Amino acid sequence: MIKNALFILSLTLVVVACSSDDSTPEEENNDSFDRQALLVNWADNIIVPSYTAFTTETNNLVSATNSFTENPTVETLQQVRLTWIEASLAFQHVSMFEIGKAEALNYRNRINVYPTNTSEIDGLIADGNYDFSLPSTIDAQGFPAMDYLINGLASSDEEIVAFYTTNENAENYKAYLNTLAETISTLTETVLNDWNNGYRDTFVNNTSSSASGSVDKLANDYVFYYEKALRAGKVGIPAGVFSNEPLPEKVEAFYKEDISKQLALEALQATQDFFEGKKFGGTSKGESFKSYLAYLNTIKNGENLGNLITAQFETSKSKLEGLNTNFSLQIENDNSKMLTAYNELQRNVILLKVDMLQAMDISVDYVDADGD
Amino acid sequence: MKKLFYPAIIMSLVLASCSSDDEAGDVQQDIDVPSNYVFERGGETTVQYPGQTTRLQMTAELTGSFKSFDTATEESLLNMFAHVEGANDFENTALNASGKNIKSKTAASADYFSANVAESAEIKADFESFISQQVNEVFPNENTTAEAGVAGQVADGTRVRYVTGKGLELNQAFAKGMMGALLADQMLNNYLSTAVLDEASNREDNDNLVLDGDNNYTTMEHKWDEAYGYLYGDPSVPTANPNSVLNESEDHLLFNYLGVVDGDDDFSGLAQTVFDAFKTGRAAIVAGDYELRDEQVAIIKEGVSTIIAVRAVHYLQAGKESIVAGNVEGSFHALSEGFGFLYSLRFTNNPNTGTPYVSPSEIDTFKTQLLEGNGFWDVTPETLDTISETIATAFNFTVEQAAN
Repeated sequence: MIKNALFILSLTLVVVACSSDDSTPEEENNDSFDRQALLVNWADNIIVPSYTAFTTETNNLVSATNSFTENPTVETLQQVRLTWIEASLAFQHVSMFEIGKAEALNYRNRINVYPTNTSEIDGLIADGNYDFSLPSTIDAQGFPAMDYLINGLASSDEEIVAFYTTNENAENYKAYLNTLAETISTLTETVLNDWNNGYRDTFVNNTSSSASGSVDKLANDYVFYYEKALRAGKVGIPAGVFSNEPLPEKVEAFYKEDISKQLALEALQATQDFFEGKKFGGTSKGESFKSYLAYLNTIKNGENLGNLITAQFETSKSKLEGLNTNFSLQIENDNSKMLTAYNELQRNVILLKVDMLQAMDISVDYVDADGD
Repeated sequence: MKKLFYPAIIMSLVLASCSSDDEAGDVQQDIDVPSNYVFERGGETTVQYPGQTTRLQMTAELTGSFKSFDTATEESLLNMFAHVEGANDFENTALNASGKNIKSKTAASADYFSANVAESAEIKADFESFISQQVNEVFPNENTTAEAGVAGQVADGTRVRYVTGKGLELNQAFAKGMMGALLADQMLNNYLSTAVLDEASNREDNDNLVLDGDNNYTTMEHKWDEAYGYLYGDPSVPTANPNSVLNESEDHLLFNYLGVVDGDDDFSGLAQTVFDAFKTGRAAIVAGDYELRDEQVAIIKEGVSTIIAVRAVHYLQAGKESIVAGNVEGSFHALSEGFGFLYSLRFTNNPNTGTPYVSPSEIDTFKTQLLEGNGFWDVTPETLDTISETIATAFNFTVEQAAN
């Protein structure tokens, strides 16, 4: 941003000085890093495999949900719950890739807006008539809505099952739960199919180092995800960083209670792996933000910026690991530890959003909304 | 950001050194300018602006009611706009008892509209059409996904926006347009106008301490305070020291955006500059120094006009960024705010000319360009840049300074 501003300023001066010269230089940086190799590693070794794995989990989720609604018992409920946890974990590996079809579908918000709106869900179930493509239903669908329906309706499994058996709206409950799982699955397949049917090539061939280039766009999506969905959504907002009081009811998977830490750690690991270019499900590493930084030889505080960011990921991880498995309890019992973890996560916002993007001459393409 | 700041500083140094020579410089020493906006006579305050607070509250409640899908009607919203004393138009019963309303002060300033009633009527009709369209076009499509030409919902991140078939959020057009058509127009072009401040025997009365009926103020003092009230009149903003709640008040109108613009390094200090001018001008009236008063009027006109211009460019650029990033629907909220501020630009006042910084006909052209065809669904980044550049140039800032 600064560089662009200076660039425009100096350009203006030049134009003023000699307005007859109409050759406007392209707004591209001049490093010759192999952006295509980077995009190929991202697409073929990380993004598409992550979506493929997640698609398997969402199919399992649909199967388990169908089995439960055909035969609602405590056992089949518990099976839904297991597949829901597995799918929720796998989702942490794709949530950061809000680009292409995912962006067009508002994918992350369709899958994982929390806290979920329980009164809206109750109303839609009673009504029996809903359209999850309507933006106003994003807080009544996805994993958090499923969390409410399989974990939050009552305190015992028997009582939860009763909503799907003896409740006067049991058929509507079953239909709603099935539609939730199927919508998650359908959306995911749509995104994966798009990658597998042309978008992959579009993505890796868009090597431009302008705002519309794949590297610039995904870098923004990645940093946005890290800042908003991970740092703020999973930790900062429930810890009360953005409000007057802590909001422990705003943790992820609130009704399941004991996986909020697990989900945050999974997301953090996924973002670190992506930063380092680690192959999905493997250990080998390819071209990445980190190798790009090494190529640019970016030094901050006397150290390689990429190494600093990796170290900060590790520090953040250790702070998260020290928290209660249930972030709600952590916030209620000792929020200071939650805030400490937040602070460590925040340090990497600076390193990624300011230092890394500047080093790569990538402009931040999002601004904080002013909230009205 | 830091680097950008240097030219700004250098520029202001240059300007300061240019202008320091031709000022008397010692005028202010004769005037007692208080540190807070506190003016008293006989131990009682002389500052009052309840009518302004009422109208700001009416505007806020009416804007909020744009999304009362289940309870609002075209009639109920139009009645809030043109409230009649005693009618139960508002939740806030104090507003119902008031004989004041929004409509009569919309595009109704002495300088711009006293001899221009046709345009005034058109502007009032525009705001009424925002209300009517909301009820007749958007309300029926509450549960429809919007498309080009079809009103309904669009997603904006985790938020839902309700837009017309052109992508315009009418509550944004209304609220941001009101900042010009009601607030800035009344403030800059009416109460700070010489025609109003010096009307009839105001100067003589002010010089001779002839008070306004039973009130504790002279008419000129009160006119000035009414201007003040349009900026600082929200009940959550303290009269004496409004900037103490800058960016923390419950105001959603000009004072809120004064804080936002002041928070941008490129424009920091604006809130203090405007407040100091209000204070100094008021003290000048008490002292009978009308030359000093009018110098402050010029500062306020430029400062308040700048709030509107910076936000117009800011939101048009934010919308452009979203479009360039491939998220067309995600641009609608910002473009709607930008449209509202663009509308408000017509009510700005360049103290050097006594007219808006951008000509009304040019503003009309821009509004047409934004909304022609399918409106925001197909407005181009080039159009948004052209409009932004024109506004920024007229105000002597850069698009970049307003955008970031």
